[in-house]
Amino acid sequence: MTVDNSPAWLALNTHANKVREKHLTEMFADDPARYEKFSFRAAHCLTDFSKQRITATTLQLLIDLAEQQKLSQRIEALFTGEKVNLSESRPALHTALRQPADQPLLVEGIDISQEIHASLEKMETLVDQIHNGQWRGYDGSPIKSVVNIGVGGSDLGPLMTCRALSMFAPEHIRDIDIHFVSSMDGSHLSGLLTHIDPASTLFIVSSKSFTTIDTLANANTAREWLVEISGLPVELISQHHFIAITASPEKAADWGIPEKNQLHFWDWTGGRYSMWSVIGMAIALQIGNKNFRQLLSGAHQMDTHFRSAPLHENLPVLMAMIGIWNINFLDIHAHAVLPYDGRLEHVPAYLEQLEMESNGKSVTLKGEKLNYATCPILWGEVGPNAQHAFYQLLHQGTESVMCDFIAPALRYQDQGEDLQAQHQLALANCLAQSRLLALGDSVLDDADNAPAHKRYRGNQPSTTIMFDSLSPASFGALIAMYEHKVYVQSVIWEINPFDQWGVELGKQVATSLLDQFTQQASSATDSSTEGLIRYVQQLRRENQP
Amino acid sequence: MKIKVYGVGLTAWVAAACLARAGNDVLIEGPDSQLEKPLEEISALRDEPGLLDQIELQLRAGRLQRTRDKEAYAEVHWLALEHNEFESARKIIRALGKANPDNLLIVNQCNFGVGATDQLQDELNQDTNQIIVYIPNNLQEGKALEGFSQAKRIIIGSDSNWAITMTRSLFRPFIQNIEHLQLMTSREAEFTKFAITGMLAIRLGYINELANLADQMDVDIDTIREGMGADPRIGRHYLAPGCGFGGQNFNQYIARFSEIFENKGKDSLLKTVISENEIQKELLFKKLWQHYRCNLTGKAIAIWGASFKPGTASIDNAPSLKLIDALLAQGVEVRVHDPEALGNLKKHYRDAPLLSFCDNPYDAVQDTDALLLVTEWPEYWSPDYLKLLEDMHTPLIIDGRNIFDREALELYGFTYMGVGR
Repeated sequence: MTVDNSPAWLALNTHANKVREKHLTEMFADDPARYEKFSFRAAHCLTDFSKQRITATTLQLLIDLAEQQKLSQRIEALFTGEKVNLSESRPALHTALRQPADQPLLVEGIDISQEIHASLEKMETLVDQIHNGQWRGYDGSPIKSVVNIGVGGSDLGPLMTCRALSMFAPEHIRDIDIHFVSSMDGSHLSGLLTHIDPASTLFIVSSKSFTTIDTLANANTAREWLVEISGLPVELISQHHFIAITASPEKAADWGIPEKNQLHFWDWTGGRYSMWSVIGMAIALQIGNKNFRQLLSGAHQMDTHFRSAPLHENLPVLMAMIGIWNINFLDIHAHAVLPYDGRLEHVPAYLEQLEMESNGKSVTLKGEKLNYATCPILWGEVGPNAQHAFYQLLHQGTESVMCDFIAPALRYQDQGEDLQAQHQLALANCLAQSRLLALGDSVLDDADNAPAHKRYRGNQPSTTIMFDSLSPASFGALIAMYEHKVYVQSVIWEINPFDQWGVELGKQVATSLLDQFTQQASSATDSSTEGLIRYVQQLRRENQP
Repeated sequence: MKIKVYGVGLTAWVAAACLARAGNDVLIEGPDSQLEKPLEEISALRDEPGLLDQIELQLRAGRLQRTRDKEAYAEVHWLALEHNEFESARKIIRALGKANPDNLLIVNQCNFGVGATDQLQDELNQDTNQIIVYIPNNLQEGKALEGFSQAKRIIIGSDSNWAITMTRSLFRPFIQNIEHLQLMTSREAEFTKFAITGMLAIRLGYINELANLADQMDVDIDTIREGMGADPRIGRHYLAPGCGFGGQNFNQYIARFSEIFENKGKDSLLKTVISENEIQKELLFKKLWQHYRCNLTGKAIAIWGASFKPGTASIDNAPSLKLIDALLAQGVEVRVHDPEALGNLKKHYRDAPLLSFCDNPYDAVQDTDALLLVTEWPEYWSPDYLKLLEDMHTPLIIDGRNIFDREALELYGFTYMGVGR
């Protein structure tokens, strides 16, 4: 029996027929205590679901569904290192990455907790060395710029976190400029190389397999640049200007990075769940080792909550189940992530990968094609800026969209009233938008008399996520909450959130097309691809010097 | 005259010594912790040549007394506090103002910034001759006593005729060879002090920059600077390139002046000079690193000279510290000699197994892979080259003060590197 034929699912279907007819305006009118009922706090975070199109019964039925899917057991399976990633036959132990050192975790007889902490300590030693100005470039200069070369999980998490927490850079260390390079076409790198000093630049090459073509193409260009400018042999440059972060030590060594400049993680760390491992070195360089540990500790607090709190007050579980309600029972397939804090500008891009690469699946764990919706289209932007871009569609378009509003309650507490007033302005906008999306123009007295093009229909559901203030710990908790939300949804949908077979074939086809650009007669298999290659070839011929 | 000096640093002790030697009754007041310290443990006294002897002499003669008596009477009060003790200064001034309603002279030699003396004056009543004057210190570490007692230039920052007359008489014993005495407002005097120090730092920064360029252009900076110095518009002072400048007093003034620029929203030349000087301090390390192709594993390196300049035991902001840090971080065995500063260095590096302190310069070079000359103490200028050749594992000399003759050293068989030549 598939989940969409299960009793709990069917009960929700029936319930949805009634609730679908209700507007959020009515729900708020019926029950003035919605906020008290539907907002929850744990591990630095407050989540308010009262602007979701739910009733107390909805929540109960959703919890029934979770229980029917044996969610609690599946959570334990995740934490204890069961092979939850079936298609690749391995566990997904991102939670172990943030577990305190004194808690052992045996996986197949090995205490991975020790390995994790040994790896983190090696990273911390390198970070200290760079912060103290004692990592030396080829001319003896201390490092000034660090360039993180990686893509996907080796880029998005560290980039997002460095930007979010840059104000937590510790004092009394050497000031390091951190840059991120990911694009395969070299656009990021070529721009950067014109204004950094080669002798004081260190490259972090992050690749789990150390075969990622995007990353190696950039790393090769960077190394060639250093060799050319320094006039030194490639071995020397590889030793003094590159750190490898990888789960494939041999491949990194083959490329020229000695063991002592390698940091390792494991195949049970999924790329998009890896910023808690040594992949987060750029984060530690930005915010210091202590704050990096705080980030882990915040995530661990959320882990503990997720693992131990009853389902009906479990933040990630509730977020996930309400998402399922929207997607599978209210037929909403678009999800906007809207932080009201400019520091969180890279959070939407991070969540796009986390959610869509994890749950963008249409085959169940048993290998059967499923016939219900899974992960929605997810996108986002810093809220106040998005107000001037796509909010028009949220308010008056034809699509139903669910939104996550994210904001810290406090900001600029020690930086003067002007800035505090700006934060308050942002918060007022945040609340105004979620209110208007939920209630429409019923918030006005005489909305009925307005012409149709000025009407706001409302009834767009949203969750507001607030935390006390942005800190390494609260940010860690926030991101861990989303990770667990994704896992819970995968359990309900009976899919594997930890593989990504959908990104493989493209790489192979690209490799096979690569040669065709230089061949005389192109032989692509479809007329479109063939035509486009010919167009490029022709322009190249015409523009030969 | 009865004079009370406030402070625990070099400026305070130098003023106390010179004022007492000239026959004044001098009290020096500091915090209790400082008063109980035996004189030889006070680094300002220990590090400055002749100062400890002079202080002991004046104490024995009874013209100088150490006191904790805050109420002790004096006609003149001499402020020589640290640059971050402005609030203490304000408290002292307030108390003095209350206790001495008229004819109160206070001399300020503190590095509090431009306008600080005026702010302190606001605590006093100018109409009853309660006056604070600013006298920039001419302190040159290593020559501090001479700088005070045989001043060539003096600036008196005040606009009170009474205070100027009193100050002139106070300074009379010290200005017999004076070349320039100028009166200006205290604000201008404070600014002038900063401007002089800044100018010197900029000259040093500039010549170092030229030297680094000369290194890459195959010209000898010694020739260049002789040519420059012959031009009377430039002159020869402060044109010796080297591996960075240090010291406490000098650095505090330029750091403070740079802050003043920054507070006015300007990026200053001085800020660049300060940061470039920090880079310059690692110059010898960089030359060594490049010579050994980025690998110093298993090497032993000798350092001659740890004090920030010859003639003082002080290691404040000394280039030797950055060099030692850099070498130790690479796991290098470091052997240091200095005629005066080893005591201070031992205190600074309490737990560094790879670092050894050598009482004899030739002990330091035993089996080393390079000798780094960091401070140009006179005894280093003409060493026993044959002994060095015999004792060193690799005859490589990196000369941070350009004191050796390249051609001669190369004839002996050394590999030689200087700064800019």
